[in-house]
Amino acid sequence: MSHFFDAIVHVRMRHGAIAFVALLLSHSAYAVPAFNQQTGQNCVACHAGGQFPDLTPYGRLFKLTGYTIGKVARPVSVMAVVSANKTKSTGSPDPGFDVAAGFPKDGNLIFSTASLFLAGRVTDHLGGFVQYTYNNYDHQSATDSHWIGHWSSDNLDVRLVDRYFGAGGSDLIVGATMNNNPTVQDVWNSAPAWGYNAVPGSSGPAVRPLIAGGLAQNVAGIGAYAFWNNTIYAELSSYRTATGFWSFMSKGFTVARGDKVFVKGENPYWRVALSHDWGPHNAMVGAFGLNAKVYPNAADPTGQTNRYRDKGVDGQYQYILDPHAFTLTASYTKERVDYADALANQPHPLDPEELIGLPLTNSSDTLKMFRAKASYVYHAKYGASLSYFDVTGSSNSAFQTSALDPANKTTLLEGSQPVTGSLAGNPATRGWTTEVFWTPVQNARIGLQYTAFNKFNGGTNNYDGFGRNAGDNNTVFLYLWGAY
Amino acid sequence: MNTPVQSARRASALNFSAIALTFASAVLLTGCNTLERSTSLANPAVAPTVIAQQVCSNCHGVDGNAESPNFPNLAAQQEPYLIAQLKGFKSHGRSDPAGFEYMWGLSKHLTDEQIAGLAAYYAKQKTKPTWQSRHTPSVNAEGKKIFEEGIAASSVPACKTCHGAEAQGAATFPRLAGQHADYTVKQLMVFQRTNERPEGGVMKGIAHLLTHENMEAVAAYLETL
Repeated sequence: MSHFFDAIVHVRMRHGAIAFVALLLSHSAYAVPAFNQQTGQNCVACHAGGQFPDLTPYGRLFKLTGYTIGKVARPVSVMAVVSANKTKSTGSPDPGFDVAAGFPKDGNLIFSTASLFLAGRVTDHLGGFVQYTYNNYDHQSATDSHWIGHWSSDNLDVRLVDRYFGAGGSDLIVGATMNNNPTVQDVWNSAPAWGYNAVPGSSGPAVRPLIAGGLAQNVAGIGAYAFWNNTIYAELSSYRTATGFWSFMSKGFTVARGDKVFVKGENPYWRVALSHDWGPHNAMVGAFGLNAKVYPNAADPTGQTNRYRDKGVDGQYQYILDPHAFTLTASYTKERVDYADALANQPHPLDPEELIGLPLTNSSDTLKMFRAKASYVYHAKYGASLSYFDVTGSSNSAFQTSALDPANKTTLLEGSQPVTGSLAGNPATRGWTTEVFWTPVQNARIGLQYTAFNKFNGGTNNYDGFGRNAGDNNTVFLYLWGAY
Repeated sequence: MNTPVQSARRASALNFSAIALTFASAVLLTGCNTLERSTSLANPAVAPTVIAQQVCSNCHGVDGNAESPNFPNLAAQQEPYLIAQLKGFKSHGRSDPAGFEYMWGLSKHLTDEQIAGLAAYYAKQKTKPTWQSRHTPSVNAEGKKIFEEGIAASSVPACKTCHGAEAQGAATFPRLAGQHADYTVKQLMVFQRTNERPEGGVMKGIAHLLTHENMEAVAAYLETL
């Protein structure tokens, strides 16, 4: 594959389509027992039905006031996930590929990830959390294919906050946040960083807009926000590459590993929301956006950039009245990316020399993602959720990682990729995830998820050219989560 | 000799360093503790009003009128009752789920002075209408009858005997007027089925005489007061 297409595809699909395995390796933060040490409260105080990471109205205020309520306490927490994935065998004609792609979905119970948290109150106005995560199945050894673990930065959010009460009960929270993942600072469960596929190993759409994890742990952001009378929220942040002084936010991410992203200069993120509580109900409608200039080649972060413009609307409704906790969230994000001149209108990735006359790539693309999730928890013990995802976008031959030979329509071009390939060169992926879970004690949760795809990488049947259907990626996922 | 690109990069780095330095200075200057706006629950020097605003208000409302029925209204509540509850949470004498899940930790380090101050703060707050569950007029009428007359057939005494003619409470008998119906029913169930609120032992015998319908009726009526 040409260098240019590597660059487009890596930036554009960093989280997955070309590496289906990446679906199974996403990082996420959860309830942090260090906060429980600090306030003395149970998980249900801040998490709806005790179901992390969904926040209750009080949980949102705890976060917006900088995680400072309570006393200075043991600031360390640990978390671990044991899980098993099962999906239809890849059946790919490439046995070497099968070993890698098949592994996480082979149904074996594995110790998948462990996290270390430093979290809690520092002063009346300063608090936060810093998460590092060990991925036990990070990559395979080049020599004998055994899996190698890897520590890296995970989410981080440190806040400086003050809160003023005026006459007549008016209430103003003003704060600054320092974080390493746009939207991780958000307090509503519809935000891309929270609420969907939150358990490491969950399946879902592989291609997502940049704001939904594309810059996670690669950027350092500083922002200011205000929340007035529990009603109006506004935030403006700016992100830059987490290098130099800021590299502590991006430990373990390297160019050599292929998970490093460089952005140019300062990249703004904004967020507004209207929130209302009435009785046991509360609701939010909001909008958000991110403009980012991303260098196409992380090994040489100079010259022109790909310009991403993401904007979205989201909403949430919650009903919390013990023993019931119900949360409904929805978000819609639209992305436009204009590629650097050097990347625009390049030859087809499987035909870099233009010898067989495949079409050129686009100079810009659009991507749209809709996600919605309903979850219900009874007595903070038994829960179920149903979520829907629908990703659509423009077709681009740069995404066409499988292609028929124009000269011989019955064969695929050399280099075509089974399972992760896209014959259509289109990111369209649609499906459902349903989950049931049990929380026998508040520090442990057992869940069973089933994700069904009715579209994958732009197709329903034979989307990869090798005969694989979207439904063949349906995944059963069992997990045991624990934190202390 | 720097190339223009190097110079621009250096300028950009300096610019960001300046922002970082400003942020760090802000942390140093304002990141310290301020008694007037403290969120600490383990500092005896923090005034009760500050605790009420910065911490308690998140669930109970800044003036003690709680929007969510998950949390009791505290406005105009009886001072001795509030003191008894906070001390009960702190000593783990009161152990109903809502108590230990939310209140044990929060009350753990409060001093007697802070507890007294918090009780005084809420006792002087004015009640205002909060969210009400919907009930039919007949349920409210039945509740009013139980409150004012009791239930003769099952020897249930009139609630007003101890809780006051207007359900305003008296000393350690809590104010019930305007309380969220869901909260009142849950507490009656705690009295009926558990020993998690020993200080309200007198309610245990009475709650045993009430059916769930009786509880819902009287709670619905009290919410409208």
